[in-house]
Amino acid sequence: MSWALHRIDDRLIHGQVLVAWGARLNPSRIYVVDDGVAASAWERELFKEAAPGIEVHVAGVAEAAAVHAEEAAAPRAAFLLVRDLDTARRLVEAGARVEEWNVGGLHYAPGKEKVNDYVYLDARDRDAAKALLAAGARLIVQDVPASRPLPLGALDPALTR
Amino acid sequence: MSAPQAGEGSSTTPDPSTGRLPAQRVPALIITHADLAQALIRAAERVVGTIENVTLLSNEGLSRADLEDAIETCVRDWKDGGLLLTDFWGGSCHTSGAAAARRHGEVVIVTGINLPLLLDYLYNRDRLPVGELAERLREKGRDSIRVQRGVPA
Repeated sequence: MSWALHRIDDRLIHGQVLVAWGARLNPSRIYVVDDGVAASAWERELFKEAAPGIEVHVAGVAEAAAVHAEEAAAPRAAFLLVRDLDTARRLVEAGARVEEWNVGGLHYAPGKEKVNDYVYLDARDRDAAKALLAAGARLIVQDVPASRPLPLGALDPALTR
Repeated sequence: MSAPQAGEGSSTTPDPSTGRLPAQRVPALIITHADLAQALIRAAERVVGTIENVTLLSNEGLSRADLEDAIETCVRDWKDGGLLLTDFWGGSCHTSGAAAARRHGEVVIVTGINLPLLLDYLYNRDRLPVGELAERLREKGRDSIRVQRGVPA
């Protein structure tokens, strides 16, 4: 069972993940994969306590890539969360096999262009997205299970140019 | 509602009958999804009249970093701590609040805000220190959730 959701969302653990996706997929474990969070003792603690009843692991990219295949074979469902497309790309380049990424929230920052209400991309994001697509992954934009899933390439023509 | 300002309880003159300094008003920032914070304040104003010195923030459309910055801007001027009231544990309002709070003294977060909890805050913010008030609000919020079963006719 294991991997039920690989999600790209700058909020990492938050309401949509815990409540909406959690109710749908019932994860036993959540992996927060982020070098910055993994390097910060208090941020690790914050996320570990953020999901009562769910085991939260905080790992850097290299560490997560090393356990990814083993976790795939573990019983019950698991989520993996990264904050941006570049972290997803680095995880895949480090050896994690991910067929589909859920793009759940990449919010506005200066220099980013609007793709939809909750996805904004800049050149660096698009480079990472193109690399993931070239490696054969699907990038599916969908904030919550009740909304319609759409390929990122269909929403952002710049990716296919 | 208005921007944070000195509350009525911020006088430093001792009470002549007790000789005690009045308690400082504990400031609060309500952080929620969508416009729940505004709706809660509107509802509370129906009960107690105009409410001042409560700051409101929505996470709508904000990244973690931007939400954290917005919270930090609100709590920066709190000299003696204060309360962050958020909608639920583990949500971005809570985790970003926790991140912003750690740089600003005794800022305490209470999650699961509801109308009875908010009303209790308003009645006790000039009376109790922040830590004690937070514990009280947790109990009041919990105690307000009850089940009434229909009684057969």
